Amino acid sequence: MSKTRVKKVVAPVEPVVSPMAWFAGRGWTPFDFQHEAWTCYADGESGLIHASTGTGKTYAAYFGPLLEALGEEQPTEPPPLRVLWLTPLRALSSDTAASLAAPLAALGLNWDVGLRTGDTKASARKKQKERLPTVLVTTPESLSLLLTHADAREKFAGLRSVVVDEWHELLSSKRGVLTELALARLRTWSPGLRVWGLSATLGNTATAASVLLGVGRTPKLIRGRLPKQTVIDSVIPPKVERFPWAGHLGLTLLPQVVAAIDSGRSALVFTNTRSQTEIWYQAILSAKPAWAGQMALHHGSLDREVRDWVEDQLRAGTMRCVVCTSSLDLGVDFSPVDRVIQVGSPKGVARLMQRAGRSGHQPGGVSRVTCVPTNALELVEVAAARMAANRGAIEAREPYSKPLDVLAQHVVSTALAGGFFPDELLREVRTTHAYQALTDDEWGWVLDFAVRGGESLRAYPDFRRVEVIDGLYVVNDKRTAMRHRMSVGTIASEASVQVRFLKGGRLGSVEETFAARLKAGDRFTFAGRVLEFIRVHDMTAWVKLSKKPANTVPRWAGGRMPLSTELASAVREQLDLASRGELDSPELAALAPVLHLQAKWSRVPTPGQFLVERLETREGFHHFLFPFEGRLAHEGLAALVAHRLSLKMPVTLTMAVNDYGFELLAPTALSLSESDLRELLDPANLEADILASLNTAELAKRQFREVARVAGLVSTGYPGASKSAKQVQASSGLFYDVFAEYDPGNLLLKQARREVLERQFEQARLLAALERLRAAEFVITTPPRPTPLAFPLLVERIRGTLSSESLADRVKRMTAEFERAADGNAVKKPRGR
Amino acid sequence: MDLLGQTLTLLPQRAAYWHERETLLIADPHFGKPEAFRAQSLPVPTGTTSAALARLDAAFAAVRVRRLVVLGDFWHASTSRTEEVLAELVAWRARHDELAIELVLGNHDRGVGRLPQEWDAVSHGGPVADFPFVFAHFPDPSDDGYVLCGHLHPAVVLTGRGRQRLKLPGFWFGPRVGVLPAFGEFTGGAVVSPMPGDRVFVVAGDQVVPVP
Repeated sequence: MSKTRVKKVVAPVEPVVSPMAWFAGRGWTPFDFQHEAWTCYADGESGLIHASTGTGKTYAAYFGPLLEALGEEQPTEPPPLRVLWLTPLRALSSDTAASLAAPLAALGLNWDVGLRTGDTKASARKKQKERLPTVLVTTPESLSLLLTHADAREKFAGLRSVVVDEWHELLSSKRGVLTELALARLRTWSPGLRVWGLSATLGNTATAASVLLGVGRTPKLIRGRLPKQTVIDSVIPPKVERFPWAGHLGLTLLPQVVAAIDSGRSALVFTNTRSQTEIWYQAILSAKPAWAGQMALHHGSLDREVRDWVEDQLRAGTMRCVVCTSSLDLGVDFSPVDRVIQVGSPKGVARLMQRAGRSGHQPGGVSRVTCVPTNALELVEVAAARMAANRGAIEAREPYSKPLDVLAQHVVSTALAGGFFPDELLREVRTTHAYQALTDDEWGWVLDFAVRGGESLRAYPDFRRVEVIDGLYVVNDKRTAMRHRMSVGTIASEASVQVRFLKGGRLGSVEETFAARLKAGDRFTFAGRVLEFIRVHDMTAWVKLSKKPANTVPRWAGGRMPLSTELASAVREQLDLASRGELDSPELAALAPVLHLQAKWSRVPTPGQFLVERLETREGFHHFLFPFEGRLAHEGLAALVAHRLSLKMPVTLTMAVNDYGFELLAPTALSLSESDLRELLDPANLEADILASLNTAELAKRQFREVARVAGLVSTGYPGASKSAKQVQASSGLFYDVFAEYDPGNLLLKQARREVLERQFEQARLLAALERLRAAEFVITTPPRPTPLAFPLLVERIRGTLSSESLADRVKRMTAEFERAADGNAVKKPRGR
Repeated sequence: MDLLGQTLTLLPQRAAYWHERETLLIADPHFGKPEAFRAQSLPVPTGTTSAALARLDAAFAAVRVRRLVVLGDFWHASTSRTEEVLAELVAWRARHDELAIELVLGNHDRGVGRLPQEWDAVSHGGPVADFPFVFAHFPDPSDDGYVLCGHLHPAVVLTGRGRQRLKLPGFWFGPRVGVLPAFGEFTGGAVVSPMPGDRVFVVAGDQVVPVP
């Protein structure tokens, strides 16, 4: 099993051969792009190699350093750390280490390969404390942690090259920023350092390369082999009229999905959420009980050993089918896989192509992905994704710009590693792409935050994290050091509890909020089994197997992916085709009855039109607006419109969004005309109004959760935490309130707001959308009942609220409604959980 | 409101006033909570102590108070007793020097030590009866009377037309036990599930509103 593979990577003894002979011995001939990468490396260049997975990127980057070493005298002992290999997922690290170790002995290189991740055992850590291996495979978080040690500079002195694997996965995240800062540190120590990124092809590959290398360096861009041919098709529901419109799970298509799995040897079934993997796994198993033992589940909340086992079985080809989330998007090839099924919207072109690329690794193989729509409208998305993929319209990933929470963490890390002088560190930090425009004021604030806890004029008494001794910023307090090391990293996660059998045996983890709702005797599906909940104790949910059916499925809060700009625009085009009756793809043809109904009750909008539907139901007064800009931009638009509306009259609105549009729901009469709507959607004053809307819409509060954790504000609980640790746990919402009230100038608050604007609302996209809508023809309809387009919004349970009524008025209105309802024997009542 | 023939006024400052005894009741102020965070090098701004005391002053301005009873968790942790917090508390006491103060110790008070000397307060290690009520920290029914207590930090969820949802701190009076909202601001709330017949009030801005 993988655990043993991880521990020791020893290649068998074989005669020493030349690199070309080694390739030939495997039946390979180096590709042109690999030769190109090796030459560039020899010339001292840095850059980015981009190609789809499974096309030889690893050795393109790795043989540069190997060829260089072969030209040198061979030492008798393995040399100190020389090649650092960063991977975004620790799950990938052991496979990567194995392929990096494979050629060493044959080439006669006396090198060793080691791993350093959160899973690395204490004994290995102790050894690495003395000496790091020649090639070290690690993650951005573990690298940042290694760099907090006082002797790091010495240990990294012999480093010549860094390879960042799957850079596209890190690029658009704070983990990418963490990587940028670590690379800046390493470049300061070794000015000649060569940095190479490996990436899938992106809409902005050149930007990706320059972010990796930092300011003032010119990256080499090397394009790998062309991708395999990709086929995108869908399971067409036999009867679209009866198809669920809402985001139900599309289980009606189970027979077709089972048939698709049956037609291949080994299939991956991707779903968009972890809950759905559990549901689909159960459904497929009950349809095909004979597949028990050849079926598995894979998602991020399952225990590592379970996941490792599943991956090994996939490689061995013993798996009929694995139901998974994006947890299997990355990583080494599962060659036996010949069928890929995507349940639910693919959300993006690149993502769908990457998943398709998981199949067809056999020689001459074709990548194929079959999409299973979970609502009828997703058929349009499949047709749109195919059109965009054929055109090569692949999404860009935008890098972060100066997130101060990550910088605050880096400052404490650097203070831990023997300390720093601010001017020197500032110069280094500004060489990164993320912080090139960092102002002196912002830098001063981050230093103050580390030393005093807040801005200099309002020093927080008794607070001490970083101390200044003769101009040197250091951490002396052992407790501070320990807590900081425990919280290094940027992945925000919900507080989670382990799931374990009473008899022992770990299954994985569920969120604390889910566990807290369970009562003894409740049965839930997890890791593909029905478990009976017994109790929660010490951050562990104790369970036993149950023979009865489950009555609940765990839900994991996770950001829901928005439809990408590329895909959203392709969807608008597809609808246009449909509205003109050009139903030439199987998806659009199948959708004809739904589109017909939409046209009959309301309208199928063309790209030049903006559709608004008004409707009154028992719940209140609905406006459905359909810009087709993806859910993030819609969240921003909904907040903007609701805010502007609330300025005109005291009103409380709830908002629901999806990828096609958004809904405003008012409890009291509301009917917006075209001129009202044009005023509410005016692009002028966008930024000021959006910022103002954030204060009421609670969105900044949500974003603050991540910012607060990265900056080290919120200390997450851990099993066995002492009482004193529990006394300093507070929700980030409380933090947000207390900061907003008593330290409103806090830059972390500002950052949270900025992140909402740029990341959540995609401000640029929002502005473009408003400009587009201004030129559009407004079509306002009053359909007799919810239309196919409106229905999914109507049933969306997750809602934002924005109010300009006083709290007391809201409560009185709600309680008065309740009184009325009670008189009429209706069912609504105040609810406690 | 009327409770066992006594008159209680629920104040939006998250306090309850017992008219017949001219007594103000508060629960769970958690003084010095930000200080406890800072002692563990987690930055939290100052200002909550003076804001809390100002809220207490506002309550005093609304009703005539001779006695203040704190239903537990006066302190947050042992690291909460900083000089700054003590100085503010002592200064506040000096402005209300005729007030009688009583504290029922809560779980957070354990090991923290007593109230500031200058407060000249009476501490009770457990529930204390004051007919027809029993002042307590924990919401356990008592044979000695109707229990007024804290500890839970109750919050109530309201829902309304248009799929609206509000979570607000509240007062919760059951058949034998009445729970006050946490007086402290930097404290969370636990959503409670009232039983039929319970009386529930939420603190909505500057008003206390009964929930049917």
